[in-house]
Amino acid sequence: MAFAVVHSRALRGLEAPAVTVEVHPANGLPSFTLVGLADTEVKEARERVRAALQTSGLEFPHNKRVTVSLAPADLPKESGRFDLPIALGILAAAGHIDAARLEAYEFAGELSLGGELRPVHGALAVGLALHRGATEVERARTLVLPAASADETASVGGLSVRGAAHLLDVVRALLPGHAADASGLREARPLRRAAAPSLPDLRDVKGQAGAKRALELAAGGELSLLMVGPPGTGKSMLAQRLGGLLPELSHEAALESAAILSVAGAFNAAAGASACCARRITPHRQRRWSAAARRRGRARPRWPTTACSFSTSCPSFRAPRSRPCVSRSRAAASSSRGRRGKPTSRPASSSSPR
Amino acid sequence: MNPCPCGQLGNPAKACRCTPDAVLRYQARISGPLLDRIDLQVEVPAVGAELLAGAADGEASNVVRERVAAARVGANARQGSSNSALAGDALDLLCALDAAASRFLQSAAERLGWSARGFHRILRIARTIADLADSRAIEIAHLGEAIQYRRVLQTH
Repeated sequence: MAFAVVHSRALRGLEAPAVTVEVHPANGLPSFTLVGLADTEVKEARERVRAALQTSGLEFPHNKRVTVSLAPADLPKESGRFDLPIALGILAAAGHIDAARLEAYEFAGELSLGGELRPVHGALAVGLALHRGATEVERARTLVLPAASADETASVGGLSVRGAAHLLDVVRALLPGHAADASGLREARPLRRAAAPSLPDLRDVKGQAGAKRALELAAGGELSLLMVGPPGTGKSMLAQRLGGLLPELSHEAALESAAILSVAGAFNAAAGASACCARRITPHRQRRWSAAARRRGRARPRWPTTACSFSTSCPSFRAPRSRPCVSRSRAAASSSRGRRGKPTSRPASSSSPR
Repeated sequence: MNPCPCGQLGNPAKACRCTPDAVLRYQARISGPLLDRIDLQVEVPAVGAELLAGAADGEASNVVRERVAAARVGANARQGSSNSALAGDALDLLCALDAAASRFLQSAAERLGWSARGFHRILRIARTIADLADSRAIEIAHLGEAIQYRRVLQTH
């Protein structure tokens, strides 16, 4: 067989649109080409995949003209998450693994040169997208992730997730015929939802009955709040106490909130699913919007989305010039486009002068 | 935010050193259209030393949290969303006012020159106040409290 298709997922904000990795080794001048609007780190997958296959004792088709296409072609793709699907596609096209069996799986994972699988960010968003998949076939697929990323995804109910430590573990599970051995693919265990962290109490603030009442209204109706007053009167203190007034998140909301952290690469598996409590509130003094959108062209949730944030001095904010930025609202994380495009959304303070 | 660059504008204990022009420029950095979109605007005045030296007052977080949770559950059961997401027909239906309350709101809107958006925001705030008070209808007292939360910055 001279053609293989492997399923994977890209990340676009909080969405994880399906991507098919197609590998076609043909006769001709030996080369290894990657097409499909791939960012630099995806292009570098060629070197990682070649080295990982060789050091794992697998065969790389040095005498072929290999073309890898990441479809759909107009969807920007980034990070090393396509290393594993590309490596498997090459092996399937060469007939080393069972190409028919690939249909029942989705893969994501970055390869080290030695073939170990490195964690990917946004694993939880990928799991959620698969769970809400468009077709029955899609929803029935098993998700194979690096062991370090698999557990955070297992919190999504009704999803089959496996974690693998090494490329060879995955390859063994996909060998043709009876040689297949799936023991290397470990079933992911859902993280326990940690108890809510203790937050500062409203009683610590003396006086300020009006502001406390406004805080209660903001929590009760999900309303926005602006506090105006001289320095040192307790505005930040009050804002820090908003988290303690909010009820526990529902399972769905907690997953979505944890998915934002996962996409930002801030999901901390060691701390359990404390991220699922998501009542993180952090003051950001004098922080500028440009710092919030530091990485050019990359739509990653920064502080306005990863925490239930507040700013302590909004007139001091400056809007970034001609840079894409993740806007304040949670949903906007998915609407921002990556890659040096025009800014799709501006932060709320963009109308301030300068 | 602070009311002016030095932060002391309106503080009875300390004089503000800013020129009126500087205050205007500072407050204008939060533009009118942005301010119009912020539901609740409250003043956080300086607290006297006597109060600071005294014992803690007010309710604890868990007491308020229970009230908030009940209001949110009620709103969700009624309209399937939070009060901030109320719009269109649902807003008209769930924030219906009796004749006296309606007159009160209209006169306030005319005197304070609210935008259409501001008018609807007041209704959402009043709905939330009524929910927290476990009241089915929005009363004049609820509207009165809601109106207070829309006037802080003097320049706007």
